Amino acid sequence: MIDALFNWFDERLGISGSGRKLLNKIFPDHWSFLIGEIALYSFIVLLGTGIFLTLYFVPSSKDVIYEGSYAPLRGQPVSEAFASTLNLSFAVRGGLLMRQMHHWAANIFVGSIVVHMLRIFFTGAFRKPREINWIVGSTLLILAIFNGFLGYSLPDDLVSGTGIRISFSIVESIPLIGSYAAFFLFGGNFPGNAIIPRFFILHVLILPAVIVGLLSAHLGMLVRQKHTQFPGRGNTPRNVVGAPLWPTFVAKTTGFMCLTVAVTGALSAFFQINPVWLYGPYVPYKVSYAVQPDWYMGWLDGALRIMPSWEIVGFGHMIPNVFFPAILLPGITFGVLQAWPFIEARITHDHAEHQILDRPRDRPKRTAFGAAVFSFYFVLFGASATDVLANYLSISLNVVLTSFRFLAIVVPLIVYPVTYRICKELQQVPTAGKRKRANVVLRSAEGGYSTVRAEQRPGDAVPRLDPLPLDEDIQFLPVPADVVVAGNGSPEQAPPQSSAESRSDRPRGGIFTIPRVYR
Amino acid sequence: MTASHAFWRRALLSFALLVSASFVGVFLLGGGRGGASAVIPNGVNAASLTSQDNPTTASQLGLGRTLFVQNCSSCHGIGAEGGNRAPPLLGVGGATVDLWLSSGWMPLAEPTAEPERKPAKFDRAEVLDIVRYVTSLAPSFGNPGVPSGIDISHADVAEGFSLFALNCAPCHTITGAGDALAGGIQAPPLHGVTKTMVWEAVRTGPGNMPRFGPGTLSPSQVVDIVGYVVKNIQHPYSPGGLSLGGVGPVAEGFVGLFVGVGACLLAALWVGDRTETDEDEGREGHGGEDGSKNPDRHRDTPGGEAESELANA
Amino acid sequence: MPDEAGATAGSSRPDDPDRRVRIPVTSVRVDAPQFQIAAKNPRRAELVAGSGFLLAAAGFAGFGAAYWQNWSSFWLALTFSVGFAGLGYGMVVWGRYLMPRGPFSESRHSLVPTGAQREVFVQDFAIRGKVAVERRGFLVKTLGIASGILGVVLAFPLLRSLGPLPEKTLRQTAWRRGSYLVDITGRKIKTGDLEVGGFMTVFPETDIGGAYSQTMLIRVDPPPASGYLTPPPQFAKQRATWAPQGYIAFSKVCTHAGCPVGLYEELTKQMLCPCHQSLFDVTDAAIPIFGPAPRPLPQLPLYIDDEGYFRAQDGYDEPVGPGYWERGND
Repeated sequence: MIDALFNWFDERLGISGSGRKLLNKIFPDHWSFLIGEIALYSFIVLLGTGIFLTLYFVPSSKDVIYEGSYAPLRGQPVSEAFASTLNLSFAVRGGLLMRQMHHWAANIFVGSIVVHMLRIFFTGAFRKPREINWIVGSTLLILAIFNGFLGYSLPDDLVSGTGIRISFSIVESIPLIGSYAAFFLFGGNFPGNAIIPRFFILHVLILPAVIVGLLSAHLGMLVRQKHTQFPGRGNTPRNVVGAPLWPTFVAKTTGFMCLTVAVTGALSAFFQINPVWLYGPYVPYKVSYAVQPDWYMGWLDGALRIMPSWEIVGFGHMIPNVFFPAILLPGITFGVLQAWPFIEARITHDHAEHQILDRPRDRPKRTAFGAAVFSFYFVLFGASATDVLANYLSISLNVVLTSFRFLAIVVPLIVYPVTYRICKELQQVPTAGKRKRANVVLRSAEGGYSTVRAEQRPGDAVPRLDPLPLDEDIQFLPVPADVVVAGNGSPEQAPPQSSAESRSDRPRGGIFTIPRVYR
Repeated sequence: MTASHAFWRRALLSFALLVSASFVGVFLLGGGRGGASAVIPNGVNAASLTSQDNPTTASQLGLGRTLFVQNCSSCHGIGAEGGNRAPPLLGVGGATVDLWLSSGWMPLAEPTAEPERKPAKFDRAEVLDIVRYVTSLAPSFGNPGVPSGIDISHADVAEGFSLFALNCAPCHTITGAGDALAGGIQAPPLHGVTKTMVWEAVRTGPGNMPRFGPGTLSPSQVVDIVGYVVKNIQHPYSPGGLSLGGVGPVAEGFVGLFVGVGACLLAALWVGDRTETDEDEGREGHGGEDGSKNPDRHRDTPGGEAESELANA
Repeated sequence: MPDEAGATAGSSRPDDPDRRVRIPVTSVRVDAPQFQIAAKNPRRAELVAGSGFLLAAAGFAGFGAAYWQNWSSFWLALTFSVGFAGLGYGMVVWGRYLMPRGPFSESRHSLVPTGAQREVFVQDFAIRGKVAVERRGFLVKTLGIASGILGVVLAFPLLRSLGPLPEKTLRQTAWRRGSYLVDITGRKIKTGDLEVGGFMTVFPETDIGGAYSQTMLIRVDPPPASGYLTPPPQFAKQRATWAPQGYIAFSKVCTHAGCPVGLYEELTKQMLCPCHQSLFDVTDAAIPIFGPAPRPLPQLPLYIDDEGYFRAQDGYDEPVGPGYWERGND
């Protein structure tokens, strides 16, 4: 039955003819190549849970009186967006699960993009011919961060609404066009009524469409250029070694997708995220202490906090204080990020094509630089919680702030040489990080000591074979049923005719029954 | 056990430790209750301390005086007139005295310490005795006395929430978790406090906290706020799981990164392979001290080699 | 013509005879060790994977039960997670241990085109295209003019329709001479409503709840002898009467990034903005003494009318809130 169905499609789309290449596509096996898949699968979770949420969320700033089940808000005027979020959380069965999974998946999505980007950076996978993919990927990071901000601002609660107010001020601070841009974005002065519906359509339609498009380009380039691989036995710049799409990679990646979904579900079970009913609706004259944006914007908040109170005023115009940490800093950050392949090529004078990855320890300068820059942004992220840290560590807020200003400069300066040294030392010991065979100490009858290598443990001696090529022009030589195959039977005994037949005819016996000649 | 077993044991143990630490940290640092809260005696209906309704007996005054002299007079003076180290308590009103004693701010741990919340030194009856004594020393100038029982059964928690968000959340946070103010001062968390203490704090504005008098917040509004704090701040509705301390999205970020992405990375470590470079393959190296060649290398297929790890010195 | 270029490295037509000649045919036995499964004990691996799937089945069934029995979100999430964890575990065990162990390889053909390929492409694109545009300058230029104008006018609906121009909106709030100070319920505030050390959020009666007109009214001190709080020296003349009877009013919109500065410390007489911890000295014209705020909070000039109500002498003398390009040095 399935064979008939397959034949029906095959005759119309020509799957057998050109699909073999797809079946045999090789995916290198290293675990760090799966990080991008974490991002991909959490994005799938976002899409799925997001569709559910759009069926219940009302993107409107119109005030309504909340009459739902949460007593501390009953009878209070709230926006329809807020009310529909509460309704979704309390009245829709499974609604809270979907909301929490959506938000946790968003955190994992951006987090895994960052880790993936770090992997690409530290292994040099952005070099020629993959500069375009790096730029596409960095753009995806920016879009993911921005879409996350839009998403958690949709419920119009006190915490995210404060963030929207800050974003108005940030847009306003752009020289020349700032006030116009802010008024255009908000449909007028703050707060207005337009921002929630506009954020909504940006968040569910426009940005996801762009993300999907760029993601397709990202994966398409990956398919076309093929994946990079680490140096290792059998890995050359002229091949790709790993597991084929069918059946191994399909199984492993589907399993991995399920595991990612499981992690998101587990987080949603145990950890509450964004409890907007505890925050209450946003009103421009109310505010809470101890608020920060979601973590992927935390570095911006930290930068806003530790920035000294400088402002440039002159000739009747002003470059406001928030311009520097909130426009200039991210501008430089993402600009350098996007341009990095070209910057590094300039510095190293390396314009050659690279298909084999570096181990981070083999490029100590790049690794140290990347670690230092990352530590800078991590300090900024920590600085978004100055008040919380001051509270829990019982340190004066003033001291914490001054410390962070100091740390933002000093920590990268320390991380660079430390990382450099670690890389250099790892280079000296090629088997660093790998389990080593023990030396067994023996004592002879005379009292002398000697060492001998320990017995190999059962699991250590897994022989890794040479890669078997699966190029489309290979011929599979079946073992004839009547021939007993010894340890190294020679191919010449096998009749080669079956491969030609398999291309021109319909497969005999169908795709799920093995032709007799192959058994 | 095999090398990979040992690796997984280490990896999963570290991960389990990280997750447990997160749980423990969350429970300790907040989770809606707990933290550095004082053990406060229950908000028993305090006897009204207005002298018309409930005249203080001479013995109660005597007890109060004794306690005051023993614990407070070294800084505040025998007649509560104040001194170098402490302000005068004449006329501050019973609510102030009650609040500072119930919260454990007073007496100080040592004369130069900052007031901090700690278990109250006196039980409720003793506190009230001290209150009676201090308020007997001078008229209270309109400063409020200890409230005679606060009834929150008809409190409008919705109104209380709205007022709380406007007046209290900027210091105490919207979840009542408390936070650090400038110069080393703290707006304390609102867990583990009685409704009497909340009422007294709102009306007397202790320390750097502003005062909200009857012209600012009417009596029913204060009861609404007290009701909201005691019901919803101290018992927050958390159907989604652990509340991560109520300190904002930064805690969620840490959990999402270290627990979420961390778990996915662990899964990736399992699903994928680890690096094998040429050094990990059967390179001879120096071998053992006895100079023996590695006896385990064997060829099973043409071109295949057993994977063996030689420890290079 | 293209054919003489011979087989192209990236050709995907396996039947192309030219290609077969170029790349040697490899023969692979179907009983090669790479096709064997990795598990030493396939039965056990199957049991392990199968138990994962059974766990998943239990999990998903539990999810169904949790849904129909309306259990809490915790159970919905947990069963969901257990289900997918089991599914994922089983699939990965299957993929790692019960499938051809590999490794396999495929050739990576360079994407860099040969000189011949490039030439052929240029021939098709440029030479044919050249016929269309050669000596057609008029055509190209007029197309350019039309496209250029389209590009410009597209910005009109796409951008300009989005919102009004800011004009003077950012410069002025709703406060006017004589505006009453009212709280969020609209109640007019009079002297005595605040205790010493207390504060209130107030608005003009025409703009209750206004985002820009929100103001902090603070009773800093008991009524001073002079009747007014003393402003700092640089404002001694201008603001001499702005803070009557120990009351003072500042804009609640932080000059850093616009958050409401709702935190007042009674003893230190400072306002702290909760967002980025800018600290404003209330006794010193709300000049920022700590944190990132670059400018003091604008002060609202107050007076107390005959009935004891607080009213504004005038609006704010400078734009409130964060800075912007046109703000200059107002």
